[in-house]
Amino acid sequence: MTVDRPETVAELTRILRQGGYLADRGLATALFVAMSLDRPILIEGEVGVGKTEVAKVLASVFGRRLIRLQCYEGIDTNQALYEWDYARQMLQIRALSERHLGDDTAVDTLFGPKFLLERPLLEAVRAGDQAVLLIDEVDRADDEFEAFLLEILSDFQITIPEVGTIKAVRPPLVVLTSNRTRELHDALKRRCLYHWVGYPSPEREVEIILVRAPGVSEALTRKVVAAVNRLRALDLAKPPGVAETIDWVRTLEVLGETDLDARTVDETIGAVVKERDDLDVVRANLDGIATGA
Amino acid sequence: MGSPQVPDEAPFVSVLVAFADELRGEGLAVGSGDVLSYCSAMAPLDPADLLDLYWAGRTTMVTRRDQIPVYDRAFKRFFLDEVDSLPEPLRHTIRNAAQTQSVLQVPATEPGTDDRRDQEAKLGLVASEAEVLRNKAFAACTPDELASLRRIMARMRLAPPKRRTRRTSPARDGRAPDPRRTVRETMRMHGEPSKVFWRERRLRLRPLILILDVSGSMADYSRHLLQFAYSAKRAHARVEVFCFGTRLTRITKALERRRVDDAMEQAAKTVFDWEGGTRIGASLATFVRDWGRRGVCRGGIVVICSDGLDRGDPHVLATAMERLSRLCHRVVWMNPHKGSGQSFQPSTLGMMVAAPFVDILLSGHNLRSLEELAATLPTLN
Repeated sequence: MTVDRPETVAELTRILRQGGYLADRGLATALFVAMSLDRPILIEGEVGVGKTEVAKVLASVFGRRLIRLQCYEGIDTNQALYEWDYARQMLQIRALSERHLGDDTAVDTLFGPKFLLERPLLEAVRAGDQAVLLIDEVDRADDEFEAFLLEILSDFQITIPEVGTIKAVRPPLVVLTSNRTRELHDALKRRCLYHWVGYPSPEREVEIILVRAPGVSEALTRKVVAAVNRLRALDLAKPPGVAETIDWVRTLEVLGETDLDARTVDETIGAVVKERDDLDVVRANLDGIATGA
Repeated sequence: MGSPQVPDEAPFVSVLVAFADELRGEGLAVGSGDVLSYCSAMAPLDPADLLDLYWAGRTTMVTRRDQIPVYDRAFKRFFLDEVDSLPEPLRHTIRNAAQTQSVLQVPATEPGTDDRRDQEAKLGLVASEAEVLRNKAFAACTPDELASLRRIMARMRLAPPKRRTRRTSPARDGRAPDPRRTVRETMRMHGEPSKVFWRERRLRLRPLILILDVSGSMADYSRHLLQFAYSAKRAHARVEVFCFGTRLTRITKALERRRVDDAMEQAAKTVFDWEGGTRIGASLATFVRDWGRRGVCRGGIVVICSDGLDRGDPHVLATAMERLSRLCHRVVWMNPHKGSGQSFQPSTLGMMVAAPFVDILLSGHNLRSLEELAATLPTLN
């Protein structure tokens, strides 16, 4: 059974756990507040700590539709809000005779719902609280794009000149993620709740992996988590996130390894460390990484 | 249920408001809207639960990661009555900052608004002297000459090269069709096919990152370069400024003040290790790790100003420079010891290590060389 929205933080934590996501108290409270107040939530954090994942899980556990807007440089209204189907409009114009074109209604239909292509943001406003809107890696879009988002994030409405203003009856749950490649505008942040996701504690990370990769041995997982934590302490250019830890455990599992030693680390390190400089640092001390000696 | 509603118990709300006030006292920008969010966030939560109190406040009133420790401190003091135990380095920092202020005695750029005519007359004089001043090393200038130099520098504009973005704008001879405008025009012509409109990818200035050495060996130059950093910041929106001596400090925020002297004073307060030792390698490594990796300098022009007298491990510097050169578009190194001569051989170890990763080496010891930088920058594509 899916509930509409949780009554307490503990309930939300439990529901997320059923969906395979272990949220700590901070994230759960932030999400709970976001859902109670109908406010968008901006999640920042290191790479691979499950920022995007949380939106996906929220959608699935509450039986809502996940609408995802992946941001990139140069993204504009045509790709994010709506676009007119110009090809069909042109055909329609050609099909209409002079007489019809003089008629107002003929022109009105040209800019009616039939020719409107919905893009993620409009789709989300239309879907209202039946949707989780994930605006992923908003820092990758250029700052002009943030201005587009302001109206949607504060009022959950979109204005299309030819059609009018479309407003969500009950706003969707909006999750924005950012990797902090640049500082976001204050205007955008003011409209959102904010949560920073750090690396989980080793015990929690073991728990997360056992949930995300069912069937892997717990002893191996503990060793891998300990090794990953040693890697994070190494001052690498790209420290591994939780996603990398999961990949690593899965890799070892596929290879049928049951223990972590210098050889297995060397053979599978590509699953966690993905920068040449970092590889040199790690390879210099394989035994230390594998066993902590 | 969880309808956004402020609880009725007035005393409780006043506690939350008082806490928000406490945060403001700590320098966090907490608007009344945020306090309202906090109060309504607490409504469905349990006010007696410290964890709820903590997380609801953090998610509604903190907007940046670096504010979290400040929030934590204020929370502990306010709700847990914990006496502030400032970590030792921080105390040290405050004392240092106080000293720093007295070190940075820059002559006022704007000598007062009442005698504008007087100032203009002086400026005229400066113009005739400018040619002489241009080639005089900053270190040899008198305070008055420096003040006039800084006035000239304030008018210099740094313009980084442009790059083509993915965003398009209407253009007469663009490459991509603009269906929106074409259809609109066609409609206006009652369906008669109109001419086709075009769009073109826009050009945008690359980001400019200044990394300035403010250590003892560079102290003479750093003050003028800070001034230069300030004018660059005013001229172009995307400028990041960092200072380093023994460690790296970001001073971009401090330079956002309107008046030159305010900004400089603020920057001086931020840079604790003014005229300390130099650890270029470690500082650049910090920059690459904490800022570069996040994309601050991606596709940008990095201008490093230092004499290359590194007291750290040269290997660290080499690694940092290599990473930096891969992360950004171009690296410009300003070394005052280069002088005006064309034949400069790097003599310091740091400089020799860094040289292979530097695209252009300039001197930056007088106004002419800074003009040279301003002239070179736009051509670095």
